[in-house]
Amino acid sequence: MKREVGHIDTFKYFLLPFCLFVFGLFALMLAVYFSASIPIFQHEGLKIYTTNVWRASENPNKEFYGVLAAIYGSVYTSVLAVLIALPLSISFAVFVIDYAPKKIKEPLIVATDVMAGLPTIIYGIWGAFVLVPILKKYVMDPLYAHLSFIPLFSFKPVTGYSYLSAGVLLGIMVTPFASAIIREAYRSLPFMYREAIYSLGATRYEATKILVKEIKPAIVAGLLLAFGRAIGETVAVSLVIGNTFNISPSLFAPGYTISSLIANQFGNAFIYKYMVSALFAAGLSLFFIGLAVNILGILILRRYGHAR
Amino acid sequence: MIVSNYKSDVELNLKSKTKYAIETENLNIYYGDHHVIKDVSLSIPEKVVFAIMGPSGCGKSTMLRAFNRLLELNESAKVSGDVKIFGKSIYKMNPIEVRRIVGMVFQHPNPFPHMSIYDNVALGLKLNKLVKSRKELDETVEWALKKAALWDEVKNKLEKPASALSGGQQQRLCIARVVAMKPKVILMDEPTSNLDPISTKKIEELIDELKKEVTIVIVTHSPAQAARVSDYVAFLYLGKLIEVGSTIDMFENPKEKLTEEYLTGRMG
Repeated sequence: MKREVGHIDTFKYFLLPFCLFVFGLFALMLAVYFSASIPIFQHEGLKIYTTNVWRASENPNKEFYGVLAAIYGSVYTSVLAVLIALPLSISFAVFVIDYAPKKIKEPLIVATDVMAGLPTIIYGIWGAFVLVPILKKYVMDPLYAHLSFIPLFSFKPVTGYSYLSAGVLLGIMVTPFASAIIREAYRSLPFMYREAIYSLGATRYEATKILVKEIKPAIVAGLLLAFGRAIGETVAVSLVIGNTFNISPSLFAPGYTISSLIANQFGNAFIYKYMVSALFAAGLSLFFIGLAVNILGILILRRYGHAR
Repeated sequence: MIVSNYKSDVELNLKSKTKYAIETENLNIYYGDHHVIKDVSLSIPEKVVFAIMGPSGCGKSTMLRAFNRLLELNESAKVSGDVKIFGKSIYKMNPIEVRRIVGMVFQHPNPFPHMSIYDNVALGLKLNKLVKSRKELDETVEWALKKAALWDEVKNKLEKPASALSGGQQQRLCIARVVAMKPKVILMDEPTSNLDPISTKKIEELIDELKKEVTIVIVTHSPAQAARVSDYVAFLYLGKLIEVGSTIDMFENPKEKLTEEYLTGRMG
């Protein structure tokens, strides 16, 4: 008996360094972001987050950076992506589990897993050459022509590269992730609840509605993951967002996201004194947004947990 | 032979009620190639407790699910023969209508855990649009919870989720959920097999009370429970109907050797 306990303890000590390594790596990385951001905070304070300027200059005193447009664009496009992914992923999950004939069920699941694993540049190029022109021709132009008095549609779609394009592309890209979580939760709902709802005389639609409500925590988790993926996505978004320092409520306006900003500016940032630091600070903001969203998710899930 | 004897027996006893709540005619059920229920014909009189007993795996639960077409949730299940409710073939009815008339209580208490106690009882009423106003809904929910002997325990926490209740309470909530729809038949699939003796006793008392108004078909693997709660009993063994008759007769004087072996505990 004693020997048994000893074994367990040895194993614990064996695992500990790996755990420390992973955690330590994360802590150090965060420390790098903080320390690398310090110069820009000393130079202009929190204005880096509250203004929309991008002034690179040979003269460090004239340099000024504000990434508000990128923060705005990141949040805007990610929220769009989640709004698009929500109905898509729930419908897809329900279809695969409840309706898809046995023969195509597994192929469908494999296909979405492949979709989730595709290099994002593939989405980016497809988005730039196929999705953007289609959206411009069939969505943006008609909406602008008829409903431009609504602020959402008020920007004349010139190129099609816009928040909407980025949001739709991201929505398509994150749907497989959200759907996988929702699908597995829906699949693992005990059969007795299906029997219960049908035995009460529910139609398929009514039954599905009730059953989907029972997996609300998984839906929240799936959407959080989707948001995280969307806000972190870089390459694909860079190709369709338009990369313009712009803050506009209109879906059809071009913009920037934090990750596309970093990717676009990083190449020549070292030329300037403060730009690298500004980009680190921008990265840090991404970290805080991620943290905030996760806390929000935990709060939602906890509220749901309390309701049990 | 036995079956027809039983039929005439029931007809004598229930002269005033010539209707049967449920009749099966040459009912066969298959799961894929597996023949689960073999040519079962039986008649269940109205407003009695009818027990279907037999050892585990003999097809009791499967047969029960044929009575409200719940079997159709299982893609591999195939049915031949007929099932009639009050003389009408359920295969000529809309399954939703069948399930409104034939309610069901399951082996595991399965109220929807995140839904409130109130909403669980109201669910069937809302789905089938059985009430016209919020007031009527409130009244029916209260009435059903009283019928299920649960009202006193939950009247102050109707908004609490169903998962806050004990297993026995959850099972009575499931009974309330069914009773609320005022079905004509209630199917019970081993409703007490996951409950403690005290909760079991409460449910059995409830069954006794409910049979004044509805027909109850209860599946049990316990001959003792069948003896306690039922008026009629059918003994099912490996998918075959071995014997059916009034509970007292069968327990005192089983006609088949298999039944006797099962009842005396030599087999089962």
